[in-house]
Amino acid sequence: MRRQLLKLRPLDFAVSRLASLYLAVFAIGVGLLLSSVYLLASHELELETDRVIEAELEGLRDEYELEGLSGLMQGLSLRSDSWGRLGAVYLLTDLKHERIAGNLTDWPLAGNATAKWVEFQILARTEDDSTIKHPVRAGIFELGSSYLLLVGTDLNQQRRFVRDFRVAILWGIGLTMLLAASIGYFYVRRIGTRVRDVAVACEKIISGDLGRRLPASDSGNEFDQLSHTVNLMLDRLEQQSHTLRATFDSTAHDLRAPLHRVRMRLEQALRHEAAAEDSRAVMQSTLVDVERVQRTLATLMQIAQADAGSSPLQSEPVDLEALVRELVELYEPVGRERGLELTVPSSMIAARVQGSRQLLAQLITNLIENALKYVPSGGHVSVRVERRGDRLALVASDDGPGIPVSERERVLRPFERLLRDAEQPGSGLGLSLAHAIVRLHRGRMLLEDNAPGLRVVCELPAATWPLGPPVTATGLHAPYLAATTAPVA
Amino acid sequence: MHILLIEDDLEAAQYLEKGLRESGFTCEHARDGREGLFRATEGSYDLIIADRMLPHLDGLAMLSVLRQKSITTPVLILSALGTVDDRVQGLRAGGDDYLTKPFAFSELLARVEALMRRRPATAEVTRLRVADLELDLLGRRATRAGRDIDLTAKEFQLLEFLMRRAGQVVTRTMLLEGVWDLHFDPQTNLIDVHMSRLRQAVDRGFDRPLIQTVRGAGYTLRDDA
Repeated sequence: MRRQLLKLRPLDFAVSRLASLYLAVFAIGVGLLLSSVYLLASHELELETDRVIEAELEGLRDEYELEGLSGLMQGLSLRSDSWGRLGAVYLLTDLKHERIAGNLTDWPLAGNATAKWVEFQILARTEDDSTIKHPVRAGIFELGSSYLLLVGTDLNQQRRFVRDFRVAILWGIGLTMLLAASIGYFYVRRIGTRVRDVAVACEKIISGDLGRRLPASDSGNEFDQLSHTVNLMLDRLEQQSHTLRATFDSTAHDLRAPLHRVRMRLEQALRHEAAAEDSRAVMQSTLVDVERVQRTLATLMQIAQADAGSSPLQSEPVDLEALVRELVELYEPVGRERGLELTVPSSMIAARVQGSRQLLAQLITNLIENALKYVPSGGHVSVRVERRGDRLALVASDDGPGIPVSERERVLRPFERLLRDAEQPGSGLGLSLAHAIVRLHRGRMLLEDNAPGLRVVCELPAATWPLGPPVTATGLHAPYLAATTAPVA
Repeated sequence: MHILLIEDDLEAAQYLEKGLRESGFTCEHARDGREGLFRATEGSYDLIIADRMLPHLDGLAMLSVLRQKSITTPVLILSALGTVDDRVQGLRAGGDDYLTKPFAFSELLARVEALMRRRPATAEVTRLRVADLELDLLGRRATRAGRDIDLTAKEFQLLEFLMRRAGQVVTRTMLLEGVWDLHFDPQTNLIDVHMSRLRQAVDRGFDRPLIQTVRGAGYTLRDDA
């Protein structure tokens, strides 16, 4: 069943919902911040105006108290031009609001002013003789209960400043929102495009274009990293499917040949109604061919199982060197029969590999058998274990004909053999099985030049913990402890 | 000796039945897991040979049920899978031996006989004797006609394995499994080389060879006299 690809609309993205939410929160935050700045600033401005007026009133009152009315009049005349400079207004009247001095012509308030602080409007003459209304805030003070002193300041400037400030704040909020929204939109678009590209590429791959890869640049952002990783995975899968196909083809070929022989032989025997003696021979050679087919199938199944990648059921810490020693001892007489010296140099490495003893034994066996098969009489084969950092290396080296560099990768694939070995019996599966076992144990296998000869290096991760008892010996660890401290047979 | 064969492949079953009868066993056949379980519970058999993959009730599941019912009849599992894990699963489910299909009939026969003759572990044996060949398991000493035989540790184990099964046919795979604990087929004539060395040590200079090759099957150690 093929699933329909989702149609991607930008507003459906989780990321666009997130962006909208973010924008709303951002807008509220900026609005609150700027509004409070505005309120604080305008309030502070009003207080400052009042403080200036108060100070001026104090100063003039002091002059009156020290020097009487004439002193005050002098002070006021000194300030007569202050409207133009500072926007300040002064008026000294008697209690009936009749002007005595100051730069105002009339008492500006209707009726008796009782409040200390008042606000009113005055008409000021400009230089070209027109008049403009000015809002004024003023303070009134009674001098010695015979005069009234009014000191005020033009609010025009302050009001204009506050208005400009308000406009600036609104513009600021608007522009910030616009900027945030467009950045958000841009990112949502970008992410949407990338996601759609990936989805489209995947769809193409699903429909059979296996060579296709996700678009990725080298910018190193998380999308490219993801694409690179996915592409690596796809490479791996494609390689595996190639290997699988190649294996399948070679399997068919490798099985067909003996089956063909069996069939020919049986048909011939039937046709000629062979004598009992002949049919025995036919059956025997048929059995040999059948056995060969069985063996090939069994090995292929093991490779398939190892390649399936699930860790082996029976995983235990395996003393690799002891296993090598045991198997070399097992094969040593066979080697001697073929004129080969098979040795295991002592390395005294007390380290283990976590894995299946059976599969690791099979690995070592395959390496030894491979060497026994290809190294001519008089040669030397050695298998040893080395420590390489946190890994153990199983090294099988010989002084046989070796494998040319160009062929090293090929011979690890199932059924691939060197041309010069075509005459040798063998399925071409030994090294691929060894390779599969190494991969299953999360290791890697290298074919190197032993100058002369071949050196097969299998690097396997060393099992770290069961060598010493775990620091926290909880009940969980107890079975492991019991298992590992038991004497090794 | 009564054997229950549980196998869904009829042709294979007929062939096995015939072979087992010819070898002197009586044999009953069950076609699937359910029938097999029923017969194994009701009847009394000396050995059960069960295929791993059976219709209705899987071979391993059937085996687990049998063991839960405390039926301890030895079970030989036949499997077409033959991987390491598969073998481990089979033995964990309570199987006594495991044989990968396809197999030579002689291999099956040797294992059937080994399972049938397996004695319950009674008192610890410390000394094995076949004719004039004697094995001191505590002192790790082998003597023949009173003379010491020089053996390596593995050769000693090999000889012990053969002597514990004196008179029975022991196949090469049984030797690899029993002595070296290796459960796969090496490609070379490994066992033959080791057996010929053991033979040299045990039989050379004696008129009556004790270790004999059984053509197409394996080896046996027996006193022919």
